[in-house]
Amino acid sequence: MGRKKKKQSRPWCWYCNREFDDEKILIQHQKAKHFKCHICHKKLYTGPGLSIHCMQVHKEAIDKVPNSLPNRSNIEIEIYGMEGIPPNDAKEHERQRNGGRPGSPSSGEDEPAPKKAKPEGLLGSAPGAMPTGSNMMPGVMSGMQGHPGMPPMGQYPPPMHPMMGHMGHVGPPFMGHGNLHPRSMMQGMPGMPPGMQPPVSGASMPPARPLFPSAAAVSTAATSTSASTPLGADFKPITSIAGGSIGPIKPTFPAYSGSENSAVTSTNSSEQKVNLIATTGAASKIIHPSEDLSLEEIRARLPKYQRRQSEESRPSQPDATQQAAALQQQHQQQQAAAATAAAAFQDQHQRQQAALSALQQQQQRFQRPPQAVMVPASAAMPVSSVALMAPLMRPTMTLAAPALIHGGNMMRPPPMGLPPGMIGALPPGAMHPAFAAPMGFPGAPMLAPMMHPRFR
Amino acid sequence: MESRTEFKIKTPPSDAISAVEFGPNSTQFLLVSSWDSTVRLYDIHANSMRLKYNHELPVLDVAFQDAVHAYSGGLDNTLKMYDINSNTESIMGTHEKPIRKIEYCGAVHAILTGGWDAAVKLWDPRSPTCVGTYLQPDVVLALSVCGDKFVVGTAKRKVCIWDLRNMAGMFQRRESSLKYQTRCIKGFPNEQGYVLSSIEGRVAVEYLDTTQEAQKKKYAFKCHRIKENNVENIYPVNAISFHSTYNTFATGGSDGYVNIWDGFNKKRLCQFHRYNAGVAALSFSHDGSVLAIGVSYLNEVEIPPGGSNEESIYIRYVNDQETKPK
Repeated sequence: MGRKKKKQSRPWCWYCNREFDDEKILIQHQKAKHFKCHICHKKLYTGPGLSIHCMQVHKEAIDKVPNSLPNRSNIEIEIYGMEGIPPNDAKEHERQRNGGRPGSPSSGEDEPAPKKAKPEGLLGSAPGAMPTGSNMMPGVMSGMQGHPGMPPMGQYPPPMHPMMGHMGHVGPPFMGHGNLHPRSMMQGMPGMPPGMQPPVSGASMPPARPLFPSAAAVSTAATSTSASTPLGADFKPITSIAGGSIGPIKPTFPAYSGSENSAVTSTNSSEQKVNLIATTGAASKIIHPSEDLSLEEIRARLPKYQRRQSEESRPSQPDATQQAAALQQQHQQQQAAAATAAAAFQDQHQRQQAALSALQQQQQRFQRPPQAVMVPASAAMPVSSVALMAPLMRPTMTLAAPALIHGGNMMRPPPMGLPPGMIGALPPGAMHPAFAAPMGFPGAPMLAPMMHPRFR
Repeated sequence: MESRTEFKIKTPPSDAISAVEFGPNSTQFLLVSSWDSTVRLYDIHANSMRLKYNHELPVLDVAFQDAVHAYSGGLDNTLKMYDINSNTESIMGTHEKPIRKIEYCGAVHAILTGGWDAAVKLWDPRSPTCVGTYLQPDVVLALSVCGDKFVVGTAKRKVCIWDLRNMAGMFQRRESSLKYQTRCIKGFPNEQGYVLSSIEGRVAVEYLDTTQEAQKKKYAFKCHRIKENNVENIYPVNAISFHSTYNTFATGGSDGYVNIWDGFNKKRLCQFHRYNAGVAALSFSHDGSVLAIGVSYLNEVEIPPGGSNEESIYIRYVNDQETKPK
């Protein structure tokens, strides 16, 4: 055998284990076989280069190097010719060339047929080779998922070359097992389908810490005040400290701005006149209506989104505390005075007043026990803003109470049917195993006490 | 454009999409609120709609409290709680004007709502009542929880930061560092700061810490702009969603593009292809492996561009290459 190869001299391609006479040819091979964009056929220089090209030019993600061995498909490794080959792989290759049969390792995908006719039989008969081979299987398989142009599991001769790449360097059997398996597993990882990403480490998720029971009214003042909150003794935020270093804070709203006075006035002013945005510049145009309102506010004015005018009265919803109610009422009065649609607001306000008195009368007449009402999805439940109800009442009850004002359906029992949303949906609890156990809520009679578990 | 990494959800809402949100622990369920007055729950794995319920008027936002409880609100001023297990809905309460934003705050197990009545309300899911009303300087346009604080963006470019541990007064009051109307705010998963976008194709990265060193790191950058015939069209940045582990974020603009950014290294990681209308809503799944993209025309201009006025929700499986800082 006169053409015995010089030691370590022949360049080889990390992606397909093929050997070349010259590194220039190797580079040509890599550009043509492994770094060519499948969309525009441009030849790039490295795997990451190809990946960036596809991402930027074609907006497509490439997760594997084309035409590579399953465990060598990592696109993130930067390899150019012989440069950048992971040292372990270089050693492995070296050892396999020396220890294994000369010639046998060079079994790349792209190799011409004559070179790779022999090794199968040799390997099969080599003692110790088979167990090693079977141990390698999982690693190879995991790397192989979805590999383009690779048959699902090439166990039999023709598509066997990818595996032969490893089997070839089984020289000392135990070494082969020890080194190969973990590595091929590792490199199988990037090839995993995205849906199967390894679980996110719990450490990065902020733990849910109940700083205080949410029932312990957050609205009540600064019991839990800590040094971290720069607040004055009078609860006015010391914005000069907090905001002093933060660029553009207007001095027009100094420390007092946290109070509702300035809030209300600014709300009023915003309703009085809407600023305009200079949307068109010399060489630019902001694609936005010229009014300085959000797209949603502008869209909400479209006729198709207006509340049906047929609704006569707008029953009310309770609020948590009477304080809040008073605050809101005052707020709304101020707003209503300034609103462009002042008339409508006033009208609504009067109706609410009327509703209030009516409601109170009704309550005196019918001492209805608190009652939970299932609101069917289709039922138009008119709502309004001002809190009128006594603070003790549960909101669930007030759903029933407003109905009294209408006078229509007060005698009807609360709707028992299932909401339309249920149609086509799964029965309760059947949705997800995790949902099923404790939350399974019987679809049966809806009574007040049973409402509560849902609010856990 | 359908490919193995991306598909469209079947039976989308019949009007513009206002919000999309993935469930807290799985990539399977997606809530979608819409201007067609519905809230829908989709099963992404099966690509089917699991359930749907109605509001009286368009719904502007939706949020998961946990895997089985959803909260929604919109132009009908009403905050609804929906129990996905039992298919029952109940009314939590109301704002005086439409509810624009709903957020679940895990730190205090409460729901936060922000409305056009310039109020932020805090709701206790257990009682269930409103436990506090906090007036803001102007109409609430954006709201995001950031650890035990939350950031409110209002009209007139005001930004208010509140500390949930002490709601007696505002924690910090700032002005947006962007010159135009605030469009969206999202807190960093690492709770250090927030990202704020405006209608003028620009995004600011801000830090809560008011020390000089921290504030030095803040910056803003231009994006979602397209140059056509020597005129640069500048689009609103409608949506922001964070990748929970990498602290990278996606932005969606009315230009129909989604970009993913590495905010700490000031790098764009990738841009997806252009969608057939503006990107109105975005949501990463809890593990950051899937991005839901709500695509709708939002009346940015009088005449819808290209006449294509259909609403769609795309589900895109993203990989580390697209989302991980390099």
